[in-house]
Order: sequence, then C-alpha cells, then structure tokens
Amino acid sequence: MDVGTGLMLIGAGIAVGVAGLGTGLAQGQIGAAAVGATAENPKMMGKGLIMLVLPETIVILGFVIAILLWLKS
Amino acid sequence: MLRPEKMTRAIIVGSIESLDVTIECLYELGVLHLIDFTEQDEEFKIGQPLKSASDASQKLLKLRSMIRSLEIDEHRPETKMHVKEIKHKVEQGLVTLDVNTSSKSEAKQRIQALIKEKESENRALEPLRTFGIPVESYEGYDSVTVFAGICKSDPETSLASKLKQYELFKSQRKNDLAVALFVVNDGRSEALKVLSEHGYQETKLPKLKGNPADIIERNIADVGDLEKDLRRIEADIAKIRKQFADFIISSEEHLAIEVLKAETPLRIATSANSFVIDGWIPAPNVDDIQTALNSLCCGLAFVETVPREEHEEPPVKLKNSKAVRPFEFFMNLVSTPKYDEIDPTLVMFVTFPLFFGFMIGDLGFGLGLVALGVLMRIKLKGYPELYQLGAIIVAGGIMASVFGLLIFGEAFGVPFHPPEGSPGERSWEVIGSFPLHPVLEKMHDVKEMLALSIVLGWLHLSLGFAFGFVNHYSHSRKHAFAKIAWLLVLFGLFAETMIFAGSATATSDFMNSTVLAPLPDMLTNIAGISVSIPAVAFMVAGVAMLPILEGPMALSEVIGLFTNLISYTRLAALAVGKGAMAFAFNTICFRLMFESGNMVIAILGAVTLVVCQLFFVFFLGALSAGIQAIRLNYVEFFLKFFEGGGTDFSPLKYDRKYSTIAKQEV
Repeated sequence: MDVGTGLMLIGAGIAVGVAGLGTGLAQGQIGAAAVGATAENPKMMGKGLIMLVLPETIVILGFVIAILLWLKS
Repeated sequence: MLRPEKMTRAIIVGSIESLDVTIECLYELGVLHLIDFTEQDEEFKIGQPLKSASDASQKLLKLRSMIRSLEIDEHRPETKMHVKEIKHKVEQGLVTLDVNTSSKSEAKQRIQALIKEKESENRALEPLRTFGIPVESYEGYDSVTVFAGICKSDPETSLASKLKQYELFKSQRKNDLAVALFVVNDGRSEALKVLSEHGYQETKLPKLKGNPADIIERNIADVGDLEKDLRRIEADIAKIRKQFADFIISSEEHLAIEVLKAETPLRIATSANSFVIDGWIPAPNVDDIQTALNSLCCGLAFVETVPREEHEEPPVKLKNSKAVRPFEFFMNLVSTPKYDEIDPTLVMFVTFPLFFGFMIGDLGFGLGLVALGVLMRIKLKGYPELYQLGAIIVAGGIMASVFGLLIFGEAFGVPFHPPEGSPGERSWEVIGSFPLHPVLEKMHDVKEMLALSIVLGWLHLSLGFAFGFVNHYSHSRKHAFAKIAWLLVLFGLFAETMIFAGSATATSDFMNSTVLAPLPDMLTNIAGISVSIPAVAFMVAGVAMLPILEGPMALSEVIGLFTNLISYTRLAALAVGKGAMAFAFNTICFRLMFESGNMVIAILGAVTLVVCQLFFVFFLGALSAGIQAIRLNYVEFFLKFFEGGGTDFSPLKYDRKYSTIAKQEV
C-alpha cells in the first residue's frame, strides 16, 4: 500500500468521523427538545422524530464520500 | 385504500319527545361524528341534559368514591354483568353499600392516623426515657430555658467552661447522645451556641403529662390494640371488596355510559318542540341510521343529507384492508391526513418492510423478529399500540428473512457458504451445505448495494411527487405541475448518478440499458467526471419551471432533493454496518469457542457471542433499521406531498367491557 492510498483511507475516516460528530451535535439538541415536546403532547412524537433524524443526512453524505474514497484506493 | 372513507354531512331532525331515543340509537350505531352546536339564537338553544343525568351522576360519584376507598381501580371483572341486574342492584343496595364502605374506610383512616400519632409521640419521647423527668416539666419556666434533644458528641466539658448555672441530663445511645439541658435565661444564647457545635437537634415534645417511660409503654399497648382493630376493619373491607368489586366496576362503567348519553344534548341544538343534530356519517351508513330511526322513533325523527360546502373539512376515517391497518400506527405518530389528501398507509405497508428487510437482511434475525412480533400479538392484546406494532414487526421480520434467504444468503451474521474471495471464512457449511447461494454479499458488494439504494430512493421519491400532483390537482393546478417539474429534476439527478456509475454495478448497468436506454448517449467530461447532457437537460428544464410554478425560493430546495436521493444510501450503510458488526462479534467469539481448546473459555465465548448478537445486532440493529425505515417515509417521502392536520373521525359511541345489554332493551 503506498502513501497516497493511506492518505485516501485516512481521508475516508475523517469524512465519516467528522460528519458523525456534526450529526451528533445537532441531534443532541434536537433530541432534548423533541423529548420535551413529546412529554407535553404525545402526538408530537412523529414530528419530533422527523426533526431528530434530519441531521442524519450529514453523516450519510460523509459515509458516501468515505465509500467513494475507499473504492478509489 | 389510498383514500379515507367517504363522509356525508347529515342533519337529524326530530320532535323533542324522541330526543332520548334518538341519542340512544345514535350511540348504539356508533357512526355519527357530531358537530358541536355553538351558535345560539332566539329559536335554537343548546339542549338541556336528559332527566336521568343528575341521578346517574350522583350514583356515579358514589361508585367512584367507593372504587377509591376499596382500592379496586385496577380490578377487572371476569364476567360481564347484565345491565338489568346492574340497575336492580344499584336501586336496591347502592346507598347501604356506600354508607357501609365509607364508614369502614373512614374508621380505617382514623385508626391509621392514631397509630401514626402514637408512634411519633414515642419517637419524640424515646431519648428522654431514662431521665425520669415528667414531660410537663420540660416547659413553663420564667427564668429557666430547657433544651431537649440529641447531640452528636458530648457537650458537657464545653458547657462547664462557658456556663455558670445549669443542669445537664444525658444518656448515651447507639450513635448519639440524648441530652436535656436546664439553663438560666442569661446563659441561653451561649448554651445554644455550644450545643450547636456538638451537632444539637431539638426534639419537639408532645403536649402530654407524666413520665416519658410510662407514656411510651402505654402507647405501645394502645398501638397493639389499634392494630388489632385495623386488621379487623381491613378484613371487613376485603370482604366487601371480594363480594362487590365486580358489581362496582361493572355499574361504574354502565353509569358512566348513561351520564355520557344524558349529557349529549349539551352538544346539540334544541327549540321548544324540536331538536337538530348536525354531523358527519360515513356514506355507506346513512341508510342504517334512517332505518333505525324509523323503527325506534315511529317517524318522529329523520335524517336529511346535505351536500358538502367547499370550506368544510369532514372528519377522517382511514379505510384500509385488515392487513394494512396496523400500519396506521405510523400515521397516528405523525398526523391524520386531511380528508382530500391521499392516505399513504398502503405505501408504508409496502416500503417499511421492504426497507427494513433490506437493512436487516438475515434469515436468523428475521425469524427472531417474526417470533418477537407474534409474541407481542399474543401477549399484548390489551395495549392497542404495541399490538399494532407487533404486526409491523412480523411484516418486517418476514421481509428480513426473505432477504436473508434469497438475496444475502446468511443467518445470524454467518453466511451459508464462505464468500468467493475468502474461502477460509466460517460459514454454515460446517453444519450442512445449503442449496441457496447469495445474490449479493453484504460485505463485498458495497457498490452494488449503494446503487440499489439509489434506485429504491428514486422510485420512492417519484411516487411521493406523483401523490403531490394528485393532492394539489383539484385545488391548484400550478402547484400540481410544480411536482412534475420536481419529477424532471429528480429524474435528471437519478440518470446522472446511474450514468456516472456506468457499468461499475449490475444495477446501474441494468438501469442504463432499460429505463435510461432511450436517452441519447451524449457525454461530456467536466473536471474529470463524465456528465450526461440529456440528464443535465432534464434538470435544467425542471429547475427553469420551478420559479414560475412554486416561486424562486423553490430553487434553494434543489440541492435538498439531491441529498434526499443520497439519503437512501443509508439502506446500504445500515445493511453493511449491521453485517460488519455481526461479523466482528462472530470472528472474535468463534476464535474463543473453536480454537482455545479450553472448555471454560469456549463456553464463555459462546455466552458472550449470544449476548452480543442478541443485544447489539438483534435489538439495536432492529431498532435502528426500524427508525431509518420510518424516517425515509416520514422525511424524504411525506414531505413531497403530505400536509396532514385532518380531524379524526370520533363517532358517538361507547365501549362496554364489563356490562352487557340485550338489543331489544335499547
């Protein structure tokens, strides 16, 4: 394995890792608010869940980039 | 199916004499969604409760207080009691029963309070027991202050150095020291300071006379007697409970229904001689009401249907077949669709198990989920939501098993046959050769899985836009055609993704040669990426239409649509991730089990494997796959067409669980 491939794999790791961190930061706050809203009104559960999972796309994008890099290496 | 039950606006008019019979009849049929009457005028006023209301609610109050004092809220009668019997018993014995129960429960409370009082007196007097000073002597002096209580350490030496005139009584207890300090008023503050330094806690003495030791002994004897009384009364209450619990619960239910019916006129319009009930009836039930009213009210009340006006929003009763109905659970979590909207439950019925099955894709875990779902269906009939969820889990489990068996060829994270690339990997071949070979290998065909996910995403999103078109078509053609523009953009994005993938995956190859075959093969190279000119043309055409049809803000959502499409790759991500997790646990634990050569380690390895697989892969895997499968529906799919906010259809009706009534009595 040459240095270029190694760097690519490190890049793939950073892509999915940092994207996951971003998602986590966002979901933490939204989740807390959603649980609060659901406690007030159980019908908010669905809406809360939608809001909660919105930032997940960030980590999915990170994942796709990581896979593309991995396949290229 | 995709539309809710058709509703008819109905007005029931009748003579005031037939009001109670009409109400009874409506509750029995349970098909009328009442619209509350609010706009009073000179002719029509809000109705008065039926005559039976006040009597029934008084009795209901008595029954409820009995339920509380007998503590039978959780009691569930095993047999249903007949209403005739309930009425008879309520007339005959309710008052006596009530007096009896409340006197017993009051006596019980009184005795309990007394026992508590005596015990707290004993607790307060206990430290002073050995001093031999009567309780009344601890207070009532002009020039002397008394401190009685508990210290953590002995204050005597400090007191001796600080105070001149005092008398200290003390007795060592298990962890602390009981003290009684008599001090002249001048030294009061000094004494308190010293005592506080030794962790003094004052004891509040009861207003009693006599020697503490005698009082304590007397109290102990009294408490013994009181407890005897308490046991006797509790036995009496238990007897009442055993004898009457069924009757009380059944009649509470019956009277609650009576009160509900008797108070219904408060929601309808009445004049001096007539009443008007306004509401919605499912279209197929209109005739039922007419027939029932004709036979019961002897022509004194009848139904009139009126056409729906534009601004009126009928209540929504979802209409799905029995198999699809459990999936209404997902709709309840979000919002009821509006009356004119498409009800997407049927789509959830197809896509949820499909996505879920694709993500789990394992015969062993799939069958485990089916078993879990079946167990929920059998055991949790009393919890409607979990009962519904059981059916959803069964459906998901079946699809997961199908995917595991036919597509991925694996059970419990172990493949049927070793993958082509690594023949040394453990597989079920150890036990026997299974005739099925995997079409896809989760861990090795990641590209293929990604391409498949994108195709599923394209189909799902396109269906969402098609529903959006249908929903908007009747009231805004412009918005409806905007959905077509979105479809064009989506198709362009999808075509570009597939052409970019080219023949790297079988899926994209297949798509390029079938669905995308009519597109002219015009490629150009931008920054090293091959771009299909027809695909870009579709995107540009769609994007150009959007500002006209939906306003310029819509342009900002074009990128969003791309992320929506990419979002479906979570299907592949979870499938691979879950497969990798199961594979990792298997690799670690199989080594312990088969290669250690030590029986204890092998058993430990097997136990660890079962626990890890069960918790991390089975439960957490199913949970995350479930949430992701719902999310793809809620976020990516619903936001393309769904508004929600409809009113649930809640007809006048009641549910008798512990009482029965014969039809002819109604």
